[in-house]
Amino acid sequence: MIRVRGLKKHYRVHKRPPGAAAALKALFRRDWQTVKAVDGIDFELGAGECVGFLGPNGAGKTTTLKTLAGLLHPSEGEVRVDGHEPQRRESAFLEKIMLVMGQKQQLLWDLPPAETFELNRAIYDVPKDVYRRRLDELVTLLALGELVNKPTRQLSLGERMKCELVAALVHGPKVLFLDEPTIGLDVSMQVAMRDFIRRYNQQTGATILLTSHYMDDVEALCPRVVVIDKGRLSFDGTLASLVQQVKPEKRLTLRFASPTTRAQVEALGTVVKFSAAESELQIPAAQVSAVVAKALGTLPVRDLNVENAPLEEVMSELFARTAADTRSTEAVR
Amino acid sequence: MRGLGRYVSLFGLQLRTSGLLAAQYRWDFLIDGALSVFSAAAALVPLFVVYADERRGIPGWSFEESLVVIGCFLLLQAILEGAINPGLVAVIEHIRKGTLDFVLLKPADAQFLVSTSRFQLWRVAGLVNASIVFTFAFTRLGRWPSAVGVLQMAVLVAAAVWILYSLWIVIVSAAFYVVKIDNLTYLFTSLFDLARWPVTVFRGALRVVFTVLLPLGLMTTYPAEALLGRLDWPTLVASVLGAGLFAAAARAVWLRSIRHYTSAGG
Repeated sequence: MIRVRGLKKHYRVHKRPPGAAAALKALFRRDWQTVKAVDGIDFELGAGECVGFLGPNGAGKTTTLKTLAGLLHPSEGEVRVDGHEPQRRESAFLEKIMLVMGQKQQLLWDLPPAETFELNRAIYDVPKDVYRRRLDELVTLLALGELVNKPTRQLSLGERMKCELVAALVHGPKVLFLDEPTIGLDVSMQVAMRDFIRRYNQQTGATILLTSHYMDDVEALCPRVVVIDKGRLSFDGTLASLVQQVKPEKRLTLRFASPTTRAQVEALGTVVKFSAAESELQIPAAQVSAVVAKALGTLPVRDLNVENAPLEEVMSELFARTAADTRSTEAVR
Repeated sequence: MRGLGRYVSLFGLQLRTSGLLAAQYRWDFLIDGALSVFSAAAALVPLFVVYADERRGIPGWSFEESLVVIGCFLLLQAILEGAINPGLVAVIEHIRKGTLDFVLLKPADAQFLVSTSRFQLWRVAGLVNASIVFTFAFTRLGRWPSAVGVLQMAVLVAAAVWILYSLWIVIVSAAFYVVKIDNLTYLFTSLFDLARWPVTVFRGALRVVFTVLLPLGLMTTYPAEALLGRLDWPTLVASVLGAGLFAAAARAVWLRSIRHYTSAGG
């Protein structure tokens, strides 16, 4: 469904040090530099896949999404979405896709969202009966009710974001690019959005590429992740293999029936968090059974839990490694 | 472009949306009405000053004939401020904030979508002022325009609107390259203000500039001459062809410029 080969997006921007003298000099002579927002990436997505596209700020995620959506022209490389070349912005292509941006809105601010939905219906030429059925489904799924008839400016951020999703989906896109769709939302609204995206993916078979800084979004929705850092891909695979590759150690949480000392806990492995009533340990995966047996035998354990390291930690570890690799490569050069 | 019918219905829907917005801000009607009366008065005052002394005036144009030019100016100003400016000024903001993304993601012509995105319907008050000025001028002249004259004027006004729109598209396209183009829009508005005078007031190089580059003559002087029954057909044909050239050039500039869209933010 989506194929990216050797995609590069470079910008030429002018560079100016701070200060009045530099500003004056820049009026007459400008120094330019090339920013490599995306620097040669390859990946593919099959039809119906829901893939997390992750990376730190400025990694090139949004640039890639915008290129896939046809908003930006690649500097080099080949991009295909369902057989189309996005930058040509053919109607047949634009009717199949949508890019939802958590930080930008298309709803008409002074009018109810229903007016934007109707405008989009006309633009996408959706037959009225299909539109009504789809709108009913979306409004029910997102529990919007009469909110769609209230002026947008009177809606809360979460309500607006739900309406943004409806506006983006009235034409039933087959490919959905979601750029931080849950940003700024409270926890319950994030859960509601996640549920909705999962159901949309399952019910319509749409292909979804999602960027989010909330790892809960990724864990809940994406069996596979593609990681980009400084414009280059650093990982492409399942979430489980990402964790296995980057942070294979397990987290053992122990809750105690009576107070315990730090020394007792340290005897079992690396202590991540410690309190007299509850502690968290990091242990090699192969030693889980032995350590658990030892903990049960030597400490007043009331309850225990074994799980992978939090995805946030896995990601920051991965980004730190990529940064170190880049530094060492530059040093060799 | 896909089916013309679809674009006609889209235009209707965009107009309806502007109507709903206008209804939300009913006070705008009073404010716009008052402003348009003030603007009409401001357009007329210099003319009264010029013609106060019988020895002065604009060569080849009596006071009443100059009033017809002002009537054409008010008519075009109402169309410019009511139908052309609102949508295109919004584009500059969309480019700055990166929200033009939503226009470019739609399977419809982006130039059409932005141009019809917003109308200031209350600016229709300017048309009333133009009608009053025309009625006053022709009553004092003691004659009325012929049917052919009115038809010629309608064609020329359409050509003028097309040229104004095309010039705006070129200005807006500049926003894809440089972020702040406010000064360019002020310059354009100030230059358009010169269209209240018959083009014969300009001499030498200025005359060439205001006939070819920024064809103020075509915008107000020629339609006024059509109403006064003294426009020759070749001028009319040349004006329509000129408008076509402006439109084609503006389209080419727009299409080239959207390739430079960098989609701010995120």
